[in-house]
Formats: sequence, C-alpha cells, structure tokens
Amino acid sequence: MTEIEGYKVVPLKVTPEAKNCHSIYMREHFIRLMDPNKPKGRTLFLLNIPPYVTETSLETFFKRIGNVESVLFAAKPGREETAKWYEGTDVPFSNTKAPFKFKVAYIVFQKSSSIGRALAIESIDLYNSSGESLIKTGMELWHDEYENKFILDVAKTQAKINAYMADYDKRERAEQEAAKNSEADADGWVTVGKDGRNAGFEQKESIIGRLEGKLAKDKKTKELKNFYTFQIRESKMQNVVELRKKYEEDKRKIEMLKQSRRFRPF
Amino acid sequence: MHKVKTLKQKSLPAVNNSTDLSIMDSNSEESSDMENTISDDVLSDNGFKEEPDHSAGKKRKVPQSNNESNTKKKKSKHNESVKPPTLEEIKELSDTRNLFHSNLFKLQVKEMLDEIQIKPKYNSFISIWLESLVTALEELDDGLLDKCQLEVPLHLNKKSFNFQFIAPSAPPKFIGSATTETLLGPNIVVDVALEMPAACFQKDDYLNLVYDQKRALYLAYVASKLKQNTAFSADKFAYNYHANNPLKPVLEMTPGSKVGSHVMFRLYITTPATVFQLSRFVPWNNNVRPSVFGDKSPKNSNEALPATQHYNANVLFDLTLAQNQTLLLNAFTGRRNFQEGLLLLKVWLRQRQLDVGFSGFSAHILAAYIVYLSQNRLLHQSSSSYQVARTVWNQLANSNWTQGITLAPQQPQQLQLSTVAKYFDVCFMDVTGYFNLCANLPLAVYKAVCMEAKLAVELLNDIKVNSFSHIFMQKSPLYSRMDNFLKITNEASVDQLLQLHVPPHVKYDYANCAYPQLLKLLTDLLQKGLGQRVHAILPLEVSSSPWPVDSKAPVIGRSLLLGLILDPEHAYEVLDKGPSTNQDPDGAAEFRKFWGDKSNLRRFQDGSITEAVVWAAATDAPSQKRLIVKQIVLHLLEHQLQLESNDVQYVAGELDVVYSLTPSFKVAKLQTKLKIQQETDAETLTSPVIHCYDALARQLHNLGDLPLEIVSISGISPVFRYCEPEPTLPQSRLIAERIHASQVLDVIIQLGPSGKWPNELAALRNLKTAFLIQIGQQLETQYKLHWLLCEKGLMVLKQGYCFLLQLAHSKELALLKQQQTERGVITYVDNPASRALERQHYILPKVNGALHALHQSHRAFGPTVLIAKRWIAAQLLDEGLWPSMATELLVAHLFQQRQSPHSTVSPQTGFIRFLQLIAHTDWNGELFLLNFNNSWAEQQVTDLEHSYRSERQSYPPLCLATAYDQKHAGRLWTSDELPNKPVLARVTLLARHALQLIESSLLSERLAFVRPAQLFVPSSEGYDLVIQLKPDLVANTLCFDFGSPFEPLSQRNFRLPLAGSQQLAQIVQQLRAAYSEHAAFFFNPHGGKELAIIWRPANEFAPKPFKVNELQACTPCFGGKVQVDRDTLIEDFKLLLKDFYLRVTTPEQLKRGQREHSKPKRYFNEVNGKPSKKKKKVQIQPKSSRKRLLKSKLLSALC
Repeated sequence: MTEIEGYKVVPLKVTPEAKNCHSIYMREHFIRLMDPNKPKGRTLFLLNIPPYVTETSLETFFKRIGNVESVLFAAKPGREETAKWYEGTDVPFSNTKAPFKFKVAYIVFQKSSSIGRALAIESIDLYNSSGESLIKTGMELWHDEYENKFILDVAKTQAKINAYMADYDKRERAEQEAAKNSEADADGWVTVGKDGRNAGFEQKESIIGRLEGKLAKDKKTKELKNFYTFQIRESKMQNVVELRKKYEEDKRKIEMLKQSRRFRPF
Repeated sequence: MHKVKTLKQKSLPAVNNSTDLSIMDSNSEESSDMENTISDDVLSDNGFKEEPDHSAGKKRKVPQSNNESNTKKKKSKHNESVKPPTLEEIKELSDTRNLFHSNLFKLQVKEMLDEIQIKPKYNSFISIWLESLVTALEELDDGLLDKCQLEVPLHLNKKSFNFQFIAPSAPPKFIGSATTETLLGPNIVVDVALEMPAACFQKDDYLNLVYDQKRALYLAYVASKLKQNTAFSADKFAYNYHANNPLKPVLEMTPGSKVGSHVMFRLYITTPATVFQLSRFVPWNNNVRPSVFGDKSPKNSNEALPATQHYNANVLFDLTLAQNQTLLLNAFTGRRNFQEGLLLLKVWLRQRQLDVGFSGFSAHILAAYIVYLSQNRLLHQSSSSYQVARTVWNQLANSNWTQGITLAPQQPQQLQLSTVAKYFDVCFMDVTGYFNLCANLPLAVYKAVCMEAKLAVELLNDIKVNSFSHIFMQKSPLYSRMDNFLKITNEASVDQLLQLHVPPHVKYDYANCAYPQLLKLLTDLLQKGLGQRVHAILPLEVSSSPWPVDSKAPVIGRSLLLGLILDPEHAYEVLDKGPSTNQDPDGAAEFRKFWGDKSNLRRFQDGSITEAVVWAAATDAPSQKRLIVKQIVLHLLEHQLQLESNDVQYVAGELDVVYSLTPSFKVAKLQTKLKIQQETDAETLTSPVIHCYDALARQLHNLGDLPLEIVSISGISPVFRYCEPEPTLPQSRLIAERIHASQVLDVIIQLGPSGKWPNELAALRNLKTAFLIQIGQQLETQYKLHWLLCEKGLMVLKQGYCFLLQLAHSKELALLKQQQTERGVITYVDNPASRALERQHYILPKVNGALHALHQSHRAFGPTVLIAKRWIAAQLLDEGLWPSMATELLVAHLFQQRQSPHSTVSPQTGFIRFLQLIAHTDWNGELFLLNFNNSWAEQQVTDLEHSYRSERQSYPPLCLATAYDQKHAGRLWTSDELPNKPVLARVTLLARHALQLIESSLLSERLAFVRPAQLFVPSSEGYDLVIQLKPDLVANTLCFDFGSPFEPLSQRNFRLPLAGSQQLAQIVQQLRAAYSEHAAFFFNPHGGKELAIIWRPANEFAPKPFKVNELQACTPCFGGKVQVDRDTLIEDFKLLLKDFYLRVTTPEQLKRGQREHSKPKRYFNEVNGKPSKKKKKVQIQPKSSRKRLLKSKLLSALC
C-alpha cells in the first residue's frame, strides 16, 4: 500500500475486474477550525473522487466498515467549500445540480473506531457482492433521471406545492405579526416593517440612492453655474482638456490597433 | 455640404502636411503660449479666425496676473496641471473635427497612408532603373524586324508585313501612378511609356488594325533588344495584355535583384499625337473595314460604314496619352493632399475589385476625375486627403456620366458631348476632347462604382459605425456582392455565340475581340429578359496572366463570368406579364417571340387577356422561388442563343441542399393533416410550425378560469425566427403516457400583474409550477391537448409539435439578483443564474422578435443562418464549443449592416459573406453591435466601445451585444469559454479555407461550383481518439446527411427520442465539465455518430509534485510525484458513455478498418458521391489548395 505525504492511496474500483483505476488519497480529517458537520476524530477525508461517484455509493461502501453518519462532498478542501458545493440544490424547482467534476469527500462515521479500520482498506470497491456496480451509468441512469427527475408527477407535485405553500403562508403570517407588534427586543431594537404606523422606508439600494440623489440635486440647483468669470473660464478650460483627452485616447487606440497590424489594406 | 467646409478652411494650411502634432511638446514655449491663452475668440469660433486680433490680445493680457492665479487655483482643484492650449493646438483639434471625420478617423487614415507608402529604397531603385532603360534605348539602332527572335505579342489573323524599326526619338517616360506619385504596394507596378517615332507610320496606317500591328512589332523589337542588353540580363521578361485588352500588349519586366521582387515595370508603346489627325477617330468614323474580316463591304457606297467608336477610342488612348499625362502631372505634382486622396480612393477601389480587366473602372479614371473636380472648383486646392476622397465620393454618387463630362477646356466643335454620349454607355472626355476615358466601361460597372461611392458617403456620415474599416480595410471582393452567377467557358459555345448572334457592326467595333462582344450580347439579352428582377448585371474578370516573350500570344476573353445582383422585391415574381393582345398586338407578338413557347395567352382576374410567362406557382417553397431567375436565364439562353443548360453554369442555390430534408426520411409515412412534400426543407417547414404556434397562442389567450390573465406569449426556439437547420416535422407522439419528440419548442408566457406573488424564491417557483399545472389542466379540458409537467416547464403536444411552456415572472429575476449588503441594504446584483434567466425569459423573446422581423425584411436571412449553423456544426463544433446564438447574431449583423450597396438576396452569397466575416475579422479589436430598431443611442455606443477598448480583457474573445442587452453588453451571448480562443482561431482557419475553395472554383474556368460535401465534411485528421456511438441510440438527423468525417454512411434511425431527454448532449456536457482540463471533445450536434477527442498538450500529463488542490485524476508515480493517466480517463469515458459507445479507436485505425472493409464490396470503379476529405490544418496557399482539390478528386475516383 502506497503512502504519499501522509495520505493513504487506494484504488477506486467500479467493477471487480476494473484495471485502470483512479487513486483515492485518504486520511483522517483534521484541521484547527473544525466544522461541526465534520467532527474531529470521526471524519475521514478523501481526495480525488471521480465526478460520477455519488454520496450514496460511498455510504454503501463504508457502511461495511462502520455506521456512517453522513457523506459530504466539496470541490476542494476548505471551510465554506461544502456549503458552496451544495448551494441551491435543496431549493424546490430550482434545477440546480451539484457540479460534475473531481471532488473531495468527507465521510463522517458514527464511531471514531471506524476511522482506523477505514484507513486499513485495500481498495474502495463500489460494487456489491454480486459484482454489480453501485454507480448507475448509461441508459439505466438516463432513464431513471428522465422518469424520476425530469418528468414530474402532477398529483405528487401538486401535493408538494400545497404543503410548501401552506408552510410558507404560516411563516409569512408569523413574520407579519412580529412586524406589527414591533416590540423592542432584548437589546432594545425595534423592527420596523413596511406596514403599521411607524412604517419605515424599504432598505433597498434604489430607494436609498434616490433619496441621496435628491439631496445632492437640491444642493446643485442652488448653486449658480456660468455666473462668475472664473466659472466660464474654467468650463472652457474643461472643454479643451476634454478635447485633448479624446485626442490622446484616440492616439492610444491607434497605438493598440497598430500593434495588431490593422493598417495593411492588402 | 463639402463646399462650405472647403470655404471655411481656406485660410488654413493643409492639415496633413504638418506631420507632427504639436501638442505635448516644448515646455519652453509655455511662457509665450500664455499670451494667447484660451481667448474667447479662439474657442467660440473653433479657431477659424485667422489670428486673434492683436489689440484683443493686448486687452486680455492686462488681467494676466489674475489669470495665473486662476490657473493655480485650477491646479489645486484638478490635481493636475492644465497646460494652456496653444493656438495651433486648438486649430489642430478643431480641424480634425471638421476636416476629418474624427480624430480616430484621421489617425487611422494617417497610419494607413504610412503603411502603404512605398519605401524610399524602391523609389531610388525605380529611378535608377529608368535611367538604365534610357541608356539602353539610346543605343538602339534602326533595323529590320527580321532580326527579332521573339514572338510578336499580338494575336491577329492577318498577314504580317515587313516592318522597319526606327529608334525612338524621345526617352521613355513614367506614366500613370508613377507620375502622380501614387504607386501602391505590395506589388508595385510602374508604367513606362515609349513613344514610337512618327516616321514608323505611313499615311493609311490608322486603318484596319495596321496601327496595332506596328505597335506590337515595335514592342517585340524593343523587347528582343532589351533582352540582349547586359543591363537587363537578370530581369524576367514577359508579355501581358493591358487591362485584358488583346490589342494592347505590354512588356512586363521584373527585375532580378532582391529589391525587384516587389516591383514590376510595364513598357507601353505609344505614339505622338501628331501622327494621325485626332479627328479621324471621332466615334462615328469607321476605321476597321469589313473586308478585314473577309466580309463584303456594303455595295452602295453612299451607305455609311458602321461606326467603330470603341476601336477608335483604343487608338486614341495611345495618341492622347502624352497630353493626358501632362495634365495629371500638373495637377498632382507637389500636392501631397491630392496624391494621398487618390491613394485612399485607389485602396477603396481595389478592395472592391471594380478596377479589374477590360470593363474595369481604372484608377486612371479616378485620377482624371480629381483633376476634373478641381478644374470645376468643386475640389479646393488645399483640401485634406480625406476631403479629396470624400468629395470624389460625394460627386460620384450624384454624378451622371451618361450625358458626358469633359476635361477639355473647349470641346471640339464637331464633338459636342451630347453627340458623343450617343456612342458610349459612359462618357468622360479627356483633355483633348477626343478620347473617351470611359470608352470600355459598361454602364453597369459605372453604376456599381457610383453605388459604392454613395455607400461610402453614407458610412462616413453615420457616426455610430466605425466607417474606416468598412471603407478601406475590409476586403469585399466583387463576387461576394453577387447573388447569382452565370458562367460560360465552353469555347465551342462561345464561338457559336460570336458567329451566329453578334451583328457584324459590333464585331468591327471591337475589332473582333471576343470578350466585349460576348459581354454586350449577354448583358443586353439578360437585361431585357430580367428587367426589374435585377439591380445590376456585372462582369467579373480575372486579370490576364503574363506569358513568356518567346511563346505565342494567347487568345483571351473567350469565357465570361457574369454576376447578377437581384432586386429582392421583384426577383422572385412568378409571372412575367406581356402587353395586352387587344390593345397592342405588335407588342404581344414581340413578347411571344422573345419568350418562345413559354409564353401563353392568359386571362387575369382583372379581366385583361395578355401574353404572360409563368415560372412557378405562388405557393411554391421559397427555395424553389429563388431559382426562378435561374430558370429564366437558362430559358433565354436556350431560346435565344441555342445554348443548352449544360454548356453554361448558373450558380444559384447551390448550398440549399444543406438544409433540405434528408431523402431517406419518407414523409409519406408521417401521420399528419398538413400537406408536406417529400422534397422540402427546413425553411419551408418553418411556416407550419409558426402557424401551429399561433394557434396555440390563441388558445392560451382564450383560456378561461385562470386566476391571472396571460398577457404575452413568445416563442424563443430558433425555429420561431427561421433559424433552425434541423427540419421540424410534425411527428411528435404520445406513446405510453410519454411524449416522444425530436425537438421541443420553447415558449415563454407572462402573466398579468399581481401584487400577491410571494417574496421568497422557492415559494414563487412553487406557485409558478402550480400555475403551469392549472394551465395544462385547462388546455386539456378546453382543447383536448395532451400535456406533461417536467422540471423545465409544461410540455404540450399540439398537431404533432411539442411545445415547452415556461412562465416568466419579473419577481423571480429580482429575487435571484437580490443580495443584502452588510449595512442591511438590499441590492440587486447580476449573477450567472440571474443572467441566464434574464436571457431566457426577457431578452431572448425580444431578440427573437427582432430577428424574425429581420427575416421578414431580408428573406435570405433565415436560410443563411441555416447554412452557417450547419457549417459550424459540421466542423464538429456543438453548442458547448460555439454557441449557435453567436452564429445567428453574426449573420444578423451582416444583414443589418450596410456593407454593400444592395442587400443580400441569395443565401449562398449570405453564407459567403459570413465566411468572409469570420475569416477576416480581427476578433480582438472588433465589437459586434446589433442595434435593433436603432434603439441604441450614440453616446451609449461610444461608451461601450470605449470600455471595450480599455478593458478588452474583461470581455469575451468574441464579443456580441444587442440593443436589448445593454446592461450585460457583450457578455450575454458569449463568454470566455464559449467560444474560447483556440476554437475561434480554428473557425477562422476553417472559414479561410472554405472561402478559398469557393473562390477558386467560382473564378476558375471549369464549369463546376464547389460541392456542398467539400465544405460540409471536415477532415478526420488531427484527433487523438474517436469514440463511435451506437447508431441505434443516436437518432439520425433529419437534415441532409453528408456523412461524418470518420465514417461515410451511418445506419438510419429515425426513432423518436423522449421529448427533452437529449441524453447524448448531456453526456457530452458532463464530459466537458469533468475532463476539459485533460481533453477537448468534438461532436456534430446534427446527428453526429462519433465523439472526437483531442488530448491537451503532453505537459499536462507529465509527472508533477503532490499538491492537495491539484490532484484531479492523478495517480502516484515515482518519487512522491503524481501524474494523470490517459488510460484511466478513457475508462471513465467508457463508464459515462456506457450503453452508448460502440468502440474507442483512433482515426487512423478507423480509416484502415474502413478501407479493408469496403474493398471487396466494390466491384465497379464507379465515381460515387463519396465526399472528398477537406484538409484543415494546412497553411493556405491558393495554388496548393487547388492542387489538393484535384488530388482529392482523384482519390475519390480511385478508391
């Protein structure tokens, strides 16, 4: 068994007779700032997972060693990476899928004793006892995708929608209630909503921008332009400066064009 | 307009004379500059008053101290020192604004002039060469021609006579561009004229081509003597015809030295004007007697002999040359502005190829016209070079030379312009008043030049386009402006035409030169027959090639290539109506005679009964209607000139087959109510789709019982804008509760406004889906339509088409963009997801509408896109490498922009222009703006262009922007990866090669246009791996199948896939997402059965040190290093393509296998339609490509 830079290297076999296999680099997950989802002592860290490997297939394999709490993927090691990897996939009807590329995996076992056993394996075999691959590919996969994910069953979808919307309405109502009551919280802050007597304006960039713009405009209108001689002179100077600037700019443009030899007609 | 300008700047020196722009120079002058600081005069009058009044200057000087303090203030304000402008500077700046279009234009013109200016070493070389020629000629003695060993460069069936050579009395002189100092590279041609002394001629030599013979003999003698001269021993001698004119041989001498490789000298023989009286050559005189050609003279001696105006002009050219040259010399010497103006015009003309050959509009005419304009005070002496060019264009655009103009101060008494104009199409008399400079210029060519000039002025006036490159830099060969071509190259048929159909007086007139006779015969006939259908019929000529001095003069001009520019409004009318039989019986008879048995007596709805010719049915497919002109021309040739259709070639719609329905799909098996013919194409099949979509839209609008009204429905699939190359057939079916369809048509629906939509993205999407379900249920109950809900939207089956309805809501976009800043302020920021949604739901519908409208106004737009898209796809570039929207927008850009005077009418020409656009665009510098409806303001355009130039890196390699996506300008349709730089470079290379193939076949003498298979089957070389796919899992394309580069024919499989499944495309997408760091994948989306793979360069696979973040696909090798193993990757490809792939091989293996496989099968050495392979990664040279063409043809015949 090879070891490199503290990582154990094992082949990833998709079928029993697979020859040219990817190498998986694994070790115990340990960094100073621990993520609560990847607890110290119970998490196995795997590098170079091929894109087609799924969470379930890894879970199925590592269950043979010890009970698995969760399998998490990420594009590369790092604190926020897992969240980034799964971003948007849990939103209903969003069509967002996790990226299809090489990744790293975190296997969280229920017991810390499983780690040692996991590090002792010879290969990661993603097939079951009868030699069938745990990874669905080809027609099977695409048919499955089409039937179960692409086509939506109307009755089920409708039910799901109804449930979600009911939940949403409840949340919305609760929020509105909270806004109306507008009681000071522990720190003494009052949340001001759109409704109610003490309604504040919406904290949108456009609205704030408009308000600020209005202030600036008011200031400007009070100012007199073209009144003093120096102002007139200055505006003329500005004109010349602009002309010059444009000329310089054009010159630079030409310089750039010249480099690409754009002046030979034939 | 220009008049005002010329007057305005009278007092100014010519701008371009001052070479350096004194703006940033000399701080030492600053103190003196302070005197004429920003005086009001200077600024308000744009500096056009001479000098500011001295007194005024003094007045202003008084508060100078004040002034200084102001500048100091300014300094503190601007944080930069503003140097007070000098008077010169202000003049300079405002001059460029007025005299030139803009600063940029001026600088560009200046740069180009610098670039085309010939180097001083050439100038000195040329003058030294002339000196040596002078000395060589001085040594010549009189002698008899018998001593001449060289062939006489003239092809005349006349007996030769003894000719005595008399040494020239005057030294040779430069003529043409060498006198006007406007020699133009890269191959410089210097014209030198040698005068034959008057003593060579006898009294009657002006008659019966004796003059031309003597001239040729003289040239032969001079040539033989020069060849013996040691000073020219290294030079290459050849004869050529001047302007493809077989009566005007010239001697071409190419110096042997290294400098000479770019210089060529042409020796003309001329005669002094005093040899013959000029009045002998007035247009109505006959100087070529019928007896020369063995014809009988008219018996009645009173009958005037036919006029030989063109031959006369031919002789006059030589006689008046000296005087005309003096005129040009006087006008141009020392006037750099005129010279540069002429150079600009020459570049412009040469890019348009209007100056080639016998019927060309030569640069000589341009030079004379500049003189004419300055004589008539339309062009001021001190105009800038830009103004010279602009004035010439302006005048040319509005000119009418058919009435005649003259350079002569006093036109000779008997030769009034109105009289002369009757004898010529176009009439521009020279300084003597006898010679018509435009004698050989056909009216159509003159008109074409005028149209080009008009276009140039329009481009200059349009501030929104950068006209410089359109006018000067862009190559626009004449053939790319033609819609159709007629080619006659068969010598036997040419002879037959000349003998049977050309009246004798035309023969005498052109001294029996074949080309002008042929041109006149055919243009006259076609013009009469086609009438309004054509804008112009232009000859396309190729310059005659030189021949060595010791071989016989070739016969030239016995072939003709005509280009037709069609008028889109009339060209495809199905009916030619003649005069009414009752009212105009003679006219009707003539009409019948002209059209022959095609003409029938018909009764029309308005009650009139007239003779008429019907070419097609009004209901015919557009591609069929596009062949009407071809039908007419071929009929006329057969009926009038007895030319069979296989004697000539008419190039029209040659590439239409590309988007036609494949013949192996049998339409008869289709169950549909629509009437669809077997021979149909994607363009024709679009209108039933749009009809069906309209019906669906109506049904959707009428849906009751929806909480919100449907306010807008818009289709966004390419088929809705005539841009889908795959024929869309009504064949979608419902099988076992699932819709099967080859294409799914996207439709975007917008609902009426409501304030009750939730503020959460997920909730909004839930509600949207609920809406879709309701719409589907309503459609089923009200109209009995089948529907299915899928994750993308609602699939609806109607009349055999499958539509995918999606719901757009502006709140969804807002929620996607919404972000909260740290201050708790909500902002809206574009992100990839929001951009994709906005594009799909809001911008694409608008662009779709605009492109649809474009197709309505330019009927060739759709089919051009179809051909272009198929071409791109055929090069194994699918959506993941080259976005098809980019193709559509590039073609739209072509049609929107006025790059040629007439809009493109035939798709084939559109495609040629598309190839040209790709082949010659500087991707790094060009920004493609599609200003639909002109809704983009000038300021926005300049802003965008400015940001594009200054931050080029932040824009994608191919940058497209439409008026509907101003916010995303240039980043919406393409990205850094789509298409990336290598793909762009590859497409450019392919386009250049394709263009080469088209051009060479079009301009060749052979009667064969390039076969579509040559263009649409790429080479199979250069790929590392080929993964063959199972034919029964990949549906065959409905497009006409050319076969793939790897395997000529594939199994037919027209089974319908599940609607919207697109498995293969998804797999390719997966492969690209995962492995693009290691390999590139190529795939033909139109039914490709192979996936071609190129590995990334070898260093990507080299061993590298272990790094946690760079471990993708690596296995450990030796010494703690890791490397990527190709075999492992291939295993991965196989895994992902499981069930789909047949085998993984290399192109070489595949080819070998095929050869072995196919050999025993073929018993006959038949020439089958197997497409020849087109090479791509070859540096293109015209000669080699032609060779390769031949070679490939041989190959296909052999195997």
